[in-house]
Amino acid sequence: MARSGFRGFRGFRGVGGIGAWLREGVWAIPLRRYLALLVMAALVAGLTYGIRKATYDDRSCAPGVVRPARSNDCVGVSTTDYAFGQKQLAETIGAIDRENRSLTNGKGGYVTVALFEPFTTTDADILGDVLHELQGAYLAQWKVNHDANGEGPPIRLVLANPGRTGASWEHTVGEIERMTKTSDKLRAVAGIGLSTAENTLAVRELTRRGIPVVGTSITADSLANGPRSGPGDPKPFPGLARAAPTNTDEARALASFAKVAADRAVLVYDDPGDPYTLTLQASFEKLLRGSRYQPWPFTPLTDRTKEGTTANDFRQIRELLCDTAPGVNTVLFAGRHTQLRQFINALGKRGCMQRQFTILTGDDASYLTGDPKLDPEALRHGISVRYTALAHPDAWFKKPPRTGGSAADAQELNELLNATTAISAAKTDRPSPIGDIDLEDGQLIIAYDAMRLTVEGIREATPRGRTAPNLADVADEWTLIKGSSGRVNGASGWICLDNYGNPYDKAVPIVELTPDRHARFVEIAWPTGRPPQKDCLPPS
Amino acid sequence: MLRRLHGRGALFDTEPPGLAPRLVGLRPHHHIAAPLEHPRELPFVVLTAGRGLGKSAVLGELRAAYQRHTPVALIDCEDPQFLHRPQARPAQAWSPLAQALLVIAEQLAEPVTGARRIAFPRLMSGLIAVAAGGWGDADTERIRWEVQRMLLLNESGSWFAGFAARWAGRVASKAVAAAISDDPLVSAVIEATMEAMTERSAGTRQRRASTWYRTYPNAGDRAELGLRLLSDHFRAGGTSREHAERHLVRALLADLTDAYAGVRAHLQRLGRPLVLVDNAHGSPGRELIEQVLRDRAEGFADQVAFIAAVRGAGGQSSLRNSVRRDLRETGRRTRWTPADTASSRALLVSLPPLSSDDTLHIVDAVCTGTTTPVPAELPPATHRLTCGNPLGITLVAESARQNLHRLAPTAPFGALLTAELALHEDREGRPAYRELLDRLVPADRLDELTVLAAAHDHDSARALAAAQLPDDFGPSSVRELETRLVAEGLPAVPGQFVGDAFVRTLLLLRLHHRHADHGKWRDVHETLVRHYEGPEPSAARYRLHHELALGDTGPAVAYLRDTFHTLDTRTWLGTLLFIASAPYFHAHDTEGHDFAGGDHQRARIAFGHTDAEQRPPDGVDAVLHLRVRRLLHAVWQLTDPLVLPDRRLCDRLRYELEQLSNDPRASNALLWQASQEWPEAALTGRPPRVPGDEDTTDDDRNRNDGGA
Repeated sequence: MARSGFRGFRGFRGVGGIGAWLREGVWAIPLRRYLALLVMAALVAGLTYGIRKATYDDRSCAPGVVRPARSNDCVGVSTTDYAFGQKQLAETIGAIDRENRSLTNGKGGYVTVALFEPFTTTDADILGDVLHELQGAYLAQWKVNHDANGEGPPIRLVLANPGRTGASWEHTVGEIERMTKTSDKLRAVAGIGLSTAENTLAVRELTRRGIPVVGTSITADSLANGPRSGPGDPKPFPGLARAAPTNTDEARALASFAKVAADRAVLVYDDPGDPYTLTLQASFEKLLRGSRYQPWPFTPLTDRTKEGTTANDFRQIRELLCDTAPGVNTVLFAGRHTQLRQFINALGKRGCMQRQFTILTGDDASYLTGDPKLDPEALRHGISVRYTALAHPDAWFKKPPRTGGSAADAQELNELLNATTAISAAKTDRPSPIGDIDLEDGQLIIAYDAMRLTVEGIREATPRGRTAPNLADVADEWTLIKGSSGRVNGASGWICLDNYGNPYDKAVPIVELTPDRHARFVEIAWPTGRPPQKDCLPPS
Repeated sequence: MLRRLHGRGALFDTEPPGLAPRLVGLRPHHHIAAPLEHPRELPFVVLTAGRGLGKSAVLGELRAAYQRHTPVALIDCEDPQFLHRPQARPAQAWSPLAQALLVIAEQLAEPVTGARRIAFPRLMSGLIAVAAGGWGDADTERIRWEVQRMLLLNESGSWFAGFAARWAGRVASKAVAAAISDDPLVSAVIEATMEAMTERSAGTRQRRASTWYRTYPNAGDRAELGLRLLSDHFRAGGTSREHAERHLVRALLADLTDAYAGVRAHLQRLGRPLVLVDNAHGSPGRELIEQVLRDRAEGFADQVAFIAAVRGAGGQSSLRNSVRRDLRETGRRTRWTPADTASSRALLVSLPPLSSDDTLHIVDAVCTGTTTPVPAELPPATHRLTCGNPLGITLVAESARQNLHRLAPTAPFGALLTAELALHEDREGRPAYRELLDRLVPADRLDELTVLAAAHDHDSARALAAAQLPDDFGPSSVRELETRLVAEGLPAVPGQFVGDAFVRTLLLLRLHHRHADHGKWRDVHETLVRHYEGPEPSAARYRLHHELALGDTGPAVAYLRDTFHTLDTRTWLGTLLFIASAPYFHAHDTEGHDFAGGDHQRARIAFGHTDAEQRPPDGVDAVLHLRVRRLLHAVWQLTDPLVLPDRRLCDRLRYELEQLSNDPRASNALLWQASQEWPEAALTGRPPRVPGDEDTTDDDRNRNDGGA
C-alpha cells in the first residue's frame, strides 16, 4: 500500500478525528509543534497585515504629505520628488529633488526654505503661476547653491501645499513649524502667490510663530506691513518681506505712467472685494478724488475664478460707460482677472464702438495672457488693457534706466534658463531641465528674485562659523536689505526693503495685453515717479 | 477507545499512569507523552503467569496500544521461524537469536507518527557478516535475497530508497566472485558492506555506524576485522557464538540509541521504543533476556522498553534473583532499583487472576446481544469455575453466547463446557473443555494428566500411573510431570496432584468423557479407592471422596453419620467438605451409570424428597442418618463448580446445619457458624470453609482441594 502524508491523520480517526490529530499528531511532537507555531504566527501576521491593508485608509500621499479627513487634497510639506499629481510640475519638482539630494548626500549642513503654493490647484491659470514660481525658485536655489564664491549655507527647497484653495493652511503651517525644530532647519517660507484670505491667515500664523515669510507675487496692501496696511499695528506680519510692490505702489506707478486725470476716468471695482482688489480700489480712489462719476461696483462669487453672474453686471456697466461724457477714456479696474476678462469681452460689444477706452488695472491681469475665453476682437477695436506687471523679460533691454535695475541682472537669469535647455553637456555643472519656460507673466522672474531675497536674508543672518541662522535673525534681516551693497539686484529690478519689508520704489513694468494674448512691454513705471537713487535707501 | 483487556488497569491505566506508560513514556493508544518512572535506567519487565492468564493478550494489547506511536516489535518465541532453521540456511550461519534480532529490527524500523524509519546499520552489517559465513555453496539468487532483507534494515527514509536493491546486487556479486576465485568470501562481503556504509552518499549516522565494530575485542580498531571476528565467532558455535550474539544484541541497541540521539530525534520522537517478547522462557527469548540484562549490568545502557512474557514463575537462572511484584502492586510505581547483578535488572511482574467484577464485565461484553438472557448466577459461577483465569472466562462466556439458547433450561452450568464451541467461523465446533485443555495443559502430557488429575499426591499419582498409564510412564515421569506443572506456573497444592482447580476440573471432565461408558473414569476412581483402602480417617476421606465420584454415596453417609459424635466437629466439617468436593458430572444410578431421569438427583435427596424411600440401616439414628444424607448431597451440589448455585438449596443447607447444631453432643457453635457462612459463600461463588479455618488456604483457586 502506498504510504501517504495523510496516514498520520487516519491513525487518529478513532480517537476524535481532526482534534485528536492536532493534539497528538502535531502538538505532541515538538518539531511539528514548533513548525505549526511558526506557520500559525506567519498566518496570523499575514492575516493581520491583509486585514489592516484591506481596511486601513491610507491617508498619506507621500512623505510629509497627507490627505486630511474628508478631503482628497494632498496637503503638507513634501521633501521628495512627489509632484502632487500634477504632470506639469513633475519635471521641475524632480530637478528640485535632485538638487536637494545632492545637499543631503553631501557632508555640509543646509538650511531649508519652504515654497508655499497651492500645488494641487485645479485652476489652470493658477497652476501655470505655480509652475513658473516653482521654476524661478529652483533656478534661484541652483544659482545660490552653485555660486562660485561658495557662500553658505546651501539651500534646500521643500514644497508646502495648503490645498487647492488654501483651506488646509493650518495643517501645513504646523508642519512647517515642526520642520523649524528638526534637522530640516527650515528658516523661511517663500511663495504665497495670491493675496487670498486663507493666505493672509497663513502668513499671519507663520509670522506669529516667528517664521520669516517672503511673499513672491502678493501685492495686496492688506497682506503687508506698514502704516498703509490698516489701522492699529503697523506690523501685523512681523518677519514678512515681499519681492513685489504693494498694490498702492503699483497704482501709484500706474498713475505716474498714465497721468490719469480724475475727470477722464471712471472706477469699476469688486464689491466686497478681496485684499488685492480692495487695495487696488483704494489706490485708484485716491487718483480719482473729485471725479464726476461714482465708482461702479460688481459682485462676483467668493471664488473669483468662477464665472458667476458678473457678466450681466458688466453689460450694464458697459452701457453706463457709453453714457459718460466723451472725454472719459480711462477705466480703472479694481478686480480679479476672470471678472476683467468678462468686462473686456462685454466692452467688445459696446454700443459706442467709436469711443476708445484704456483699461488700467493691477498685475492680476497677467493671467489673461493664458485665458482662451478672452475675446481678442475687443482689443482690436478701441479697447486697450494696460496693467502693472510684476516683471517682464523685456523690461531691461530697451533703454533701461540707469538705476533701479539692470540688463546685466536680467541677463543672469536668461543665462541660467539657457543652461537648463542646453543640449550638449559641455558644462557639467548646470541646472536640470525644468520644462517649458514662459517669462511673460513675470511669475518666474519675480519668484526667482523672491527666492534670492530669501537666501540673502538667511545668509546675512547666519553668524560666521555657524551653518544656520536663528529664525528671529532671519526675520530681523529684512530691514537691512537696502543700500548699494545690501540690496538684491533682482532680474525684475532692485529690491531694497523698507522697514516694513516692502520693496521701495520697485520697478513696475507697464504692459499691454495684445489681441494675440501676449503682454507687450510698454515701459517701466516707478511708484515714486522716477527710479530710485543709486544708494537705494528709502527716505524716512 | 474501548478497553479490550479487563483487569489489567495497573498496566494500561492513564490516570494515574500504569506500568506501560511509565515505562514507554507514552499514553496507550495516544500520541501524548507520559512521565517516565525510570528516566535513566529502566527495568527489563518480565510478565510471569501460567497458561491462560493473558500474557499474550497483554503483549498483543501493548502492541496495539503503541503501534504507529513509537517503534514496537512483538515476537513470539514459539513461532516456527525461531524454532526451526530454514533448510537453506546452514546451522553455522543461523541462530534463533539472530533471526529474532532481524525480525525485531524489521518491526522497529517502521515509521511512526512524527518520525521516519529507523535505520539499523550496525545490526545490518553484523547480520550480513554472520550470514556470509553460510554462503559457501549458495547460489547468487539466495544470497541476493538474504542480503536484501538485511539491507532493508538500513533504509531510513524515502530519499534513501533503493539502497537495499542496489547494494544487494553488489554484495551478492562480490560474494559470488569470491566463491569462484577462492578468495575469502566473508572478507569480500564485509568489505562491500563497509563500502556501502561509507560511500559518499551515506549520511553521518551511517559513517558513525561504520566504525562501531572497531571496538570488537581484538579488532585492532579496524571495523572490517571486527566484523570478520564476529562472523568467525558465530560460526564456531558454543560460547563463541554467544559472544557474537551478544554483540549483535548490542548492535541493535546501539542503533536504537543512535536513532534517539540528537536534537532532531528529540524534537520528533516521543517515548521509548518497545520490544515485546512472548513465550520468552524458551529460545531465543531466554538468550535475549540474558544478553540484555548482562549488558545493562555491565554498563551498556540503553533506553529500550523490553516487556517479555514467560510461562510460570520465571524460575530460570537468569531471573532467579530478580525483583518480583504482583501486577496490582505496580499500578502506581514499581519500587524497583537496579543492583549489581544482571538478574536485578529485571522486574518480574506476575499477572494475577481476574476478579469477580472483571468476570462480570467480560461475560457482559461477550454475551451482549444474545437472544437468551444470561442468568444472573452465571458470572459468579463462571468466576468460581475458572478461578479468574482470563482464557477460561472468555471461552466459557463465548460458549454461553453460542450455546445458551440451545440448552434446556434445566441443563447444568457444566453443560457449557461440554457443549460445542466454534472459535473460528471456518472451523468445526469442539467441546469447550477440549478447547480449554488444548491451551491450558501441555499437549504432550494431556493424556497422562487426564488420569493423574484424580490423584492427590505423589503416591496416589504413582499408583494411578502404575495401574492406568503405559508402562513407560513410571515414578520418575510422575515426578518430572509434577516439576513441570510447577514450572509452568500451576500452583502446588497439598492434597491435589494438579493444583489448579480449574485445570483439574477440566481434566476430570475429559476423564469422564473419555469413553462412552465412563469406563476409564470408573477405573481411575476404583484404583484410588483401592489405594486408599484402610480404616484410618486420613485414608477414609479420600476413599469416600472417590466412591462418591463413582456415585456411591452410602459409605460416605455412613461414615459421616457414625463419626458425627466421635470426631472433632472441626475435623468432621472438614471431612464433609472434602468428601463432597468429589467430581460429579452426570446423574448416576447406583450402578454408576447415567441416570435417565434428569440431573437433579442430588437436589431431590437434599430436599428430602427421597427420604421416604430411604431405609436407614438398623441400629442407627434414623433422623441423623437422613439429615447427614441430605446435608452431604446439599454440600456436594452447592460446592460443585459445574452447577449454578440454588438459593432454595442454600436455605436447605442452612436449615440442616442449624438442626445439627442443636445436637447437644456436637460443637454447636461451629455448626451454627457454618450454617450461616456456607450458604452465603455458595451463593456468591466463594468456597465454603470450616469456620475459624481461614488460615489454611485463602486462595480461590484451590477451594476444592479438600483441605489438609
